[in-house]
Amino acid sequence: MNIKQIAKTAGVSVATVSRVLNHPETVAPKTREKIQKVIEDAEYKPNWFAQGLNFNKTRTIGLVIPHLLNSTYMEVAKGVEDVAKQKGYITFMCNAEKDHKSEKNYIDQLLTRCVDGIILMFSSLDPDEIRAVEERGVPVVLIGENKDASGFNSVKVDCQTGAESIVKQMIDNGHSTIGILYGDDPEEESKALLRGYKKALEKAGINIREEYMRPVENTIEGGYLGARKLMMGKPPEAIFATGDEIAYGAMDAIKDNGLKVPDDMAVAGFGNARMSNLVEPKLTTVEIPFHKMGIYGARLLFDLIEDTGKGDKEIRQITLRTRLRIRKSCGHKERIGEMF
Amino acid sequence: MLRTNFLGLELKNPVIIAAGPWNRDGRSLHKSIAAGAGAVVTESIVSDTMLDVRPRIACDSNGAQNIRLYSDIQVEGWEREMNIAKHDGGIVIASISAHTPSELAYLASKMEKFGADAIEISVSNPMMESLEVVASHAGTVFDMTKEVVSSVKLPVIVKLSQNTTNISKVAKAVKAAGGSGVSAINTVRGILGVDVESAVPVLSTYGGISGQYIRPLGLASVATIAQTVDIPICGIGGISEAKHVLEYMMLGASCVQIGTSVMLEGRKIVGEIVSDIEKWMDSHDISSVGQLKNKALKNLKSFDEMKIEPAVSTAQSAPCTENCDKCIVSCLYGAIYREGAEVKVRSENCTGCGLCTFVCPAGKLRLDW
Repeated sequence: MNIKQIAKTAGVSVATVSRVLNHPETVAPKTREKIQKVIEDAEYKPNWFAQGLNFNKTRTIGLVIPHLLNSTYMEVAKGVEDVAKQKGYITFMCNAEKDHKSEKNYIDQLLTRCVDGIILMFSSLDPDEIRAVEERGVPVVLIGENKDASGFNSVKVDCQTGAESIVKQMIDNGHSTIGILYGDDPEEESKALLRGYKKALEKAGINIREEYMRPVENTIEGGYLGARKLMMGKPPEAIFATGDEIAYGAMDAIKDNGLKVPDDMAVAGFGNARMSNLVEPKLTTVEIPFHKMGIYGARLLFDLIEDTGKGDKEIRQITLRTRLRIRKSCGHKERIGEMF
Repeated sequence: MLRTNFLGLELKNPVIIAAGPWNRDGRSLHKSIAAGAGAVVTESIVSDTMLDVRPRIACDSNGAQNIRLYSDIQVEGWEREMNIAKHDGGIVIASISAHTPSELAYLASKMEKFGADAIEISVSNPMMESLEVVASHAGTVFDMTKEVVSSVKLPVIVKLSQNTTNISKVAKAVKAAGGSGVSAINTVRGILGVDVESAVPVLSTYGGISGQYIRPLGLASVATIAQTVDIPICGIGGISEAKHVLEYMMLGASCVQIGTSVMLEGRKIVGEIVSDIEKWMDSHDISSVGQLKNKALKNLKSFDEMKIEPAVSTAQSAPCTENCDKCIVSCLYGAIYREGAEVKVRSENCTGCGLCTFVCPAGKLRLDW
């Protein structure tokens, strides 16, 4: 069957079938489903290359992620795909393994495959390298900050405010010595978290003490070792970990030191990874809207892809906010604001 | 005579169907327009849809409680829905809800592109938020409004919450940020009740209370804003009949929104209310709804302006055949008594509090001097 026959069988115009194939979101669900069923029954496969030539679009986008095994990146990727699917686009996903060379290589590969746009998640590329991609006529959107994202269409999360609010919550709960275990990945966001920590202490008139600030690896082991180190001197009353995994490690170390969370030492993480609601005690943390990051990343990209030249070329940057998740590991008894 | 201009939009009448599941997609919006509403507001459109909780709506004879009612159609789908809604005219206001200025600005610009006639920023839902709703902070509302206003050409309304200490301050922030109007009020945080046998609240978390319960709060909020900020107001809260619309307008609203009544009585209530307003205006020689606006506001005084008159309760006609004795039981000062078939007032005991004039089912008591 060809497109004309599909249209005839479904009792609609060729244009409507074409819309189902190319802009399914613009067709009413009932009609769309009817046509999709005819297409399925007839096993009709539109010629992908012909479509590409016709519209000068391949209806594919590239998504470069830093690491395949990190579940949070997968949530972002799901958000991207959810929008792409609605738009009738295929998403090529490339796993850069946090390697700059590998990321560049993948981008080259995507360009030779004529993708219509590229989303870079926590990219390791420098601004000049990103601009070079854009100059080849392929729009780029950045999700998450690793390097400086100003000047590009991007989606980021206001991590500094998130960190500030969780540390403030600790202070409001009566803790005056608060340690921080801070990772360095992603680079920019980690810096923002540290700034938020310091700002909350400064605002409360609490001295920032070097011995309570420990750089660690973004892993459970990193958190474990960092917390052990923090407890060697006079231990702080609470620990803020800039990642949930760091926090799990810290809770383990506190237990090994014969102390209890949260009675002897309160712990809060950052990210609200799936496990944080399953560990015991459940981890107080700051939720990052990963799925939404993906959704907005894709939306910005499609806006650029569909831009007919009439729209304003203004750079759009979406900032999302974090949200406190107060659970048993910190501040649960005293919670005053965040109960929903 | 019901035609009115709100934010530059020509409404055929001042009754708008509010944001809610009854306006959840193009078809339902189209039905709302066809029901005769002056305009319709979409269910709140969010950045990312979420699975709805079940159950999520409860009601009793005085109103309703809902826990989270947001659109389950993603932004992309609203292009199609907006077309369906407006295929034979009508004014559609897109309600958008998000937590950062940039998100709201994005949603607003999309809705403008899809053909919405105005934007209503809804950052006052008391569900799934912290105890302090976004709209309780004037600074945040200012930032959000400003960014939305600068990214669209459409009029921008901000829906305000009663869950704030100073609603005027928030309305002022909207005006300062370039907002075209405010709507007041959103639902109020509450719990409708508890099933005492099972010790289970009617819904599993705090929700937004709407309907009759909140009309006095809505009226006061509208009046407060009208007295303090020069900005068009759309009154919301517990409207189920024409009288309520008149009350809102007389206290400063330019138009109103109805939600809970539409949910419980169906869209036909809009037509009934509109025709009752028309009849009332006819019988009172009022030729345009504009004449209703602020009519009662001048009679709403501050304590400073009130003159204390030596009024006492007087029984209007004897004998009293109701025999309910409600006035006697409820008189705080022991001033009312029964003598045979007659209800009498000891004027030396009466302090003119006025309660009996509301308590008497036959309206036989009146304050006088």
